[in-house]
Amino acid sequence: MNSIPPIAIEFASLNFPTIVPMIIAIVGALVILIIDLINKNLDKSLYVMIAVLFLIIDLGVIIGFTSDVRGFFDLLLVDGIAILSQGIIVLASLFFVLTAMGKLRFQEYRYPEYFALYLFMVAGFQFMVSSDSLILILVGLETASMALYTIIAMHNRTNALEAAIKYFTMGALSTAFFAFGSLIFYAVTGTVELGKVSEVLVASNYENYPLVLLGVIFMLGALGFKLSLVPYHTWVADVYEGSTAALAGFLSIVPKMAAFVVALRFFEIFIASGDPFVEVILYVTVVLTITIPNIIALLQNDISRMLAYSSISNAGFAMTAILIGSTQATQALFLYWLMFLITNLGAFSMLWINRSKDSSSFSSDHAMEKYSGLIKKEPFSALMMGLFLFSLAGIPPFALFWGKLYLIGSAVNGGYLILALIMVLNSAIAGYYYLKPIVYMFLKDANEEVEVKFLANSTPVIKAVIGFCAVLVVFSILLIEPLLEIISYYVQISGY
Amino acid sequence: MEYILSILIFFPAFAAIVGFLVKQDSIKAYGICVTAMQFVLSLVLWMNFDVNEGQMQFTHIIPIISSYGINYHVGVDGISLFLVIMTTFMTMISLIGLSEKRDLKNLVITVLFLEMTMVGVFLALDAIIFYAFWELSLVPMLYIIGAWGGKLRIYASIKFFLYTFLGSLIMLVGMLYLAYVYYITTGTYSFSLQDWNMMILPFDMQFWLFIAFFCGFAVKVPMFPFHTWLPYAHGQAPTIGSVILAAVLLKMGTYGFVRFSLPLFPDASVYFTIPMAILALIAIVYTAMVAYAQEDMKQVIAYSSVSHMGVIILGIFALNVEGIGGAIFLMISHGIVSGALFMLVGVVYDRTHTKMIKDYGGIARVMPKYATIFAIMLMASIGLPLTIGFVGEFLSLLGFFKVSATLTLIAGLTIIFGAVYMLTMYKKVFFGPIKNEKNHELKDLNKRELSALIPLVALVVILGVYPKPILKPVETSVNHVVEVMKIKALEDKTRVEILNRNSIEGAR
Repeated sequence: MNSIPPIAIEFASLNFPTIVPMIIAIVGALVILIIDLINKNLDKSLYVMIAVLFLIIDLGVIIGFTSDVRGFFDLLLVDGIAILSQGIIVLASLFFVLTAMGKLRFQEYRYPEYFALYLFMVAGFQFMVSSDSLILILVGLETASMALYTIIAMHNRTNALEAAIKYFTMGALSTAFFAFGSLIFYAVTGTVELGKVSEVLVASNYENYPLVLLGVIFMLGALGFKLSLVPYHTWVADVYEGSTAALAGFLSIVPKMAAFVVALRFFEIFIASGDPFVEVILYVTVVLTITIPNIIALLQNDISRMLAYSSISNAGFAMTAILIGSTQATQALFLYWLMFLITNLGAFSMLWINRSKDSSSFSSDHAMEKYSGLIKKEPFSALMMGLFLFSLAGIPPFALFWGKLYLIGSAVNGGYLILALIMVLNSAIAGYYYLKPIVYMFLKDANEEVEVKFLANSTPVIKAVIGFCAVLVVFSILLIEPLLEIISYYVQISGY
Repeated sequence: MEYILSILIFFPAFAAIVGFLVKQDSIKAYGICVTAMQFVLSLVLWMNFDVNEGQMQFTHIIPIISSYGINYHVGVDGISLFLVIMTTFMTMISLIGLSEKRDLKNLVITVLFLEMTMVGVFLALDAIIFYAFWELSLVPMLYIIGAWGGKLRIYASIKFFLYTFLGSLIMLVGMLYLAYVYYITTGTYSFSLQDWNMMILPFDMQFWLFIAFFCGFAVKVPMFPFHTWLPYAHGQAPTIGSVILAAVLLKMGTYGFVRFSLPLFPDASVYFTIPMAILALIAIVYTAMVAYAQEDMKQVIAYSSVSHMGVIILGIFALNVEGIGGAIFLMISHGIVSGALFMLVGVVYDRTHTKMIKDYGGIARVMPKYATIFAIMLMASIGLPLTIGFVGEFLSLLGFFKVSATLTLIAGLTIIFGAVYMLTMYKKVFFGPIKNEKNHELKDLNKRELSALIPLVALVVILGVYPKPILKPVETSVNHVVEVMKIKALEDKTRVEILNRNSIEGAR
């Protein structure tokens, strides 16, 4: 019997700086827990601000990285993509944690644990994007997901619990898929590092191809759940509706950014080698993901459900970049997601500040009827909301238009004309449902019998966040050039 | 002077934002001031414009996204100059004639934003900037129709929005593809129209790109069979909405054909002449018949708009200087005349709240001034010589006569049909006994209405008698477009065709 060779780990290969960003988030979480141990009666604003401070430092450290480094015993890979996506994740988390500063008291924000979990989750996502080892990706994914399940469940309403359970069971399934997929790749290639998997597959000329394909299908299932690709999207609307608008906005951005990076690293192996089967599977998935939720969104009467389905469709849009696989497409993915970040942050924050605790008069918290005639009552907020919806619909010159333009442009340049047309047709369908709330706000008269409190949950902090988003959305045209420069620098150094 | 075009584009938007600070009861005066300043600015532009030059003038470029070749690039030539002046003029007139009372502040601010997008469309030389203004113009229009319109206003506004939105998205793919083709040939991306004009494209590429751009423009014009949104939009829009829609927004589509389709795809333009002409003819004849059957005055004018836009398309696809020049003149004259007609219908609608023909009769006796102005506009609309409507219609048809005498003859029916439905309507509304007792007390035009309408009447007559100040610069620029087409034509057949159509004895 062969003896297992002893594992020799050199401490130098730890390359400590690579894990500093995650450590900062984790330390932040621990600080919050320790403060709570010492004094239980502190206000949530303290915790929010501590989280903000740690996230700012985190962001600062991330910006400090400029080139490819490996560390953490070769498990971590801090390349351009990792730096970029960590930056987006931390930035988004930074803004979304500020939305906890609402005026109304909500159960979950009274627990300091909420903010600790929030930071743990950020750290988990950071681990997830900055590794090409399937094991560490899984660890990061699980760290983040576990924290997220708990955060959703902390909301004290029955549908929140339902949402958490739904998310958890689906998440557990996807973890199993992921583990099984990794297992297959380990069995076929003898490694769990995506870079090496690729090398081995190419060297062996795709030996055991059926098995590899099975692995791809399992991985697609696992990532599909996180990215809410059709047909793994069924949880989205219920989970978004069960969580607060602020958290729903977070869910529509950050976990998906993390999953996009993993998908990018993973599918790159097959797209680069021009594997026809994977390409077809991905093509079909992307087209379905863009189209089906779009059609379902047409039928929604609740704005947050509508935005939930629209964000599935948007994820499908961004996924096309992975299918196209050119450098320009990868840049487009990040540009699109940044633009989607500022728009969706604004849109969900608008829902969030209009949240009131009594929702008996309408079928749901953000029923469209609630917003009818908003232009007469709160012209400024109607304008803001309209702005974000027009941006989502891709009306130039608002933010998401440039993302769409660049993405469709990269589809055209990549020779995917049919795909570009499908994207365009879907943009037109999406135009209809984004118009619906606009019609309610601007064109319909308010129902005088029902008294609606708008801006019930507004505070200067959230208003500042919305104002910030609005300015970025309107003047996004000036942002595109510098952003593209930064994105293309990072994408190029990591060779995608 | 260098930045006058940018000032023309962004001044109304800036004024709109400042307008939020103006009190509700003085907002109309504010709006009129702003649009009058804007009109004067556009006249200043004309003064400084070199009418003997067919090329773009006052161009300037500011890079926006240089890695993808998107620049803020504006410029003006004879074609866009007069469309801009018409836009600023009609916006001013429509605000002077504005009778709306409800939410006046929002309305005026929206109109000012709309003015920015309209001027922007005509001045943009970068495809993406053009597209941005083009799409952005949908937003204020959606609001105007949807918030101040009639009973079906929401349906009408959404239909208007989605139709044009889908059409122009397909055009966007065409633009992206053109930029990609430019990238393949030169190694850099560009969305500049002037750069694109340097490219010679193979025929099948021209074919598909022509169709992609067609989707965007045809819906906007609107050409048959994409016209179904227009009667709804007009029928439901408030007076000011109809005026601007008919006067300016529809012209964006025909302008797009002249600015993009013709010079970029000369072979495809020649290839598509007959199909386009047939669509235009169907629009001319069919919608004229539909107009005859309408019971609502506004719908009559709305359908007559579709019919006239058909003549414009015919003129453009004559592909000669007379045709295109005439079409552009017709764009301007139709802007003035149809705007005036919608305003006139608005006048009686304000008083009686009905637009139905059957509710009127014998109005001429109680409202003589109104009847006179209506008659003048009606004559211009059906193209009576010595009115503004005649010049453009005649030149367009003359241009197309060199292509096909038969088709032109059928198109000529438009004058007869137009006369039939317009005069029938006029007879029913203005002559005969006064059917409705209430109409005995109708007041004639007041000062506000007269001050909006008299300038239009003056223009109709003056430009009808002496159209040269506009025609000449237009033709100089059109000549340039035709030159570009000749140079870029890929196949000898196309070049011969264009030469034939432009020669004096080219009639077949």
